[in-house]
Amino acid sequence: MVEIPPAVEIKNLVKDFKTSFRREPLRAVNGVSLRIMPGEVYGLIGPNGSGKSTTMKALLGLVAPTSGHCAIFGRDSLKVDSRNDVGFLPENPYFYKHLSGGETLRFYGKLCGLGGRMLNDRVNELLALVDLSSARDRRVGGYSKGMLQRIGLAQALIQEPRLVILDEPTAGVDPVGSRQIRDLIMTLRERGITVFLCSHLLEQVQEVCDHIGIIFQGKMIREGRLEDLIAIEDQTEIVLRDASPELISKITALVEATPGAAVVRSGKPRTTLERLFLREISEEQR
Amino acid sequence: MSTATSKPIKGSHWSRILTIATHAFTQLVRMKVFYFLAIFAVIAIASNFFDLPQHEGPEAVGANVLRSIKSWSLGAMTLFSVVLAIVATALLLPKDVEDRTLYTILAKPVPRFDYLAGKLLGVLLLIFVSLALMDILMVGVLQIRTSMVIEQQQAMAKGMGWTQEAINSLRVETEANGANASLQGAVLAVFLRASIMASLALLISTFSTSTLFTTIVSFLIYFIGHFQADAREVYLHSEQAGEGVFARIGALLFSLVLPDFQLFNVIDAVIEGQVMPLMELGKLVVVAGYYAVFFTVASWFIFSDKEF
Repeated sequence: MVEIPPAVEIKNLVKDFKTSFRREPLRAVNGVSLRIMPGEVYGLIGPNGSGKSTTMKALLGLVAPTSGHCAIFGRDSLKVDSRNDVGFLPENPYFYKHLSGGETLRFYGKLCGLGGRMLNDRVNELLALVDLSSARDRRVGGYSKGMLQRIGLAQALIQEPRLVILDEPTAGVDPVGSRQIRDLIMTLRERGITVFLCSHLLEQVQEVCDHIGIIFQGKMIREGRLEDLIAIEDQTEIVLRDASPELISKITALVEATPGAAVVRSGKPRTTLERLFLREISEEQR
Repeated sequence: MSTATSKPIKGSHWSRILTIATHAFTQLVRMKVFYFLAIFAVIAIASNFFDLPQHEGPEAVGANVLRSIKSWSLGAMTLFSVVLAIVATALLLPKDVEDRTLYTILAKPVPRFDYLAGKLLGVLLLIFVSLALMDILMVGVLQIRTSMVIEQQQAMAKGMGWTQEAINSLRVETEANGANASLQGAVLAVFLRASIMASLALLISTFSTSTLFTTIVSFLIYFIGHFQADAREVYLHSEQAGEGVFARIGALLFSLVLPDFQLFNVIDAVIEGQVMPLMELGKLVVVAGYYAVFFTVASWFIFSDKEF
């Protein structure tokens, strides 16, 4: 049986950066290993300066590993052909300000060997996907931060890659823009595209990722399925709708009558501030 | 077992290089670099008025003004093309790194050589188009002025009772000072010199930390290039170097790495009305081709290991 290669495979990645003369090199990544299978949405989380971006750059061949190995769909990251199947959105990207949104996508499409009608169709499709069709002829220099991130996501998808790498995709974007980007990531997941993203906005990672890795001071300190990692094994949650105070009392009494079981907390679940904000904004728009 | 096999990159090297080149060209055009053409137009027209008073005879009438138009125009072409070659090349690479657009390009299946070659070709395309426009303007001004000078000379010669043969001979001589094939050869030489400077600036920008450093070093090498041949000769004939083999090898290596811009002095000869031999132009093409390829390949060696 033919084994499917992982979308991303990083083995014992070490990356040292030279510092000033005679000083010890700075170890940005220290023995990181991870494996992302096709179709997964993997979130690499960690504080600033923990080695997230360096790991991504090593995976894209933008930096060469001091030791270790990175591969995309089984192909060595240092080889150009490994980039056939990958799209990348860097942190705080600035695209060529003199190009319009449409021209930007055409430029990246041509770099990937697309042309003619196929490229035109792809540009139209992506502009519609990221909701920028109305801004296609506007210069990118006049785009807002959220629009820049969305055109960045569109350029990452131009050659229909099987893997998309996103470095802090919602950094500096307002809640509405941030929601749009998260919805796009969800759409990619539905389409079976592997997503590897890094962020320090934990709530957002939790919302979109099915696998996570926690990196700290260059080392991977925890990795696995999100559900497994965040579940509290000895607790169970039941959420009821329209439960009367009598029903709550009965349930509480039943639990307390059971040896070893206890009600830890009961009350009304709360929405997040972000959901409240988005709901209010959309109601106001109507 | 992994199923990974080497998958060919879509699109040819040429198509990627051309995409990057046309983009670099558009980028520079939208930075409004063509505004300098207005300054050139002023120079080309103003050079018409540098006509010193003549008293000798018809053969001297207007000769200075034709020389002045060529001299000022080719001088302005040299200045603009060299400045464009250095500054535009020095600007493009660091700007892409600073804006992180380089990440998005190199994260696509784009070999680093294609990126560098595309940027260089874009700058060369801009210089070529600029020189072509300046050339059209210069030839236009020169044609009009040459016909005016010929008319003036003929009227004066007839008045002084010259023979028709002498008048025809004067006409040929004056036309040699006008817009001719040698002048186009000189414009090509200006382009070749700018090409060397653009590829040199590209090399420096691959290891430089700032646009300012690249610009200053490039201009320094440009000036050194104008007297390096003399310096080499002086050194080889000095007592320290003598006839030593190492001195000769050193001097040869020096000239292989640093361009000798004295070879381009043929442009001055064209201004003086001399004919540029095709062989001389061919030599310049070969020399410029050598330096452009050498500097671009050296840039690629450095850039291929560069980390971002």
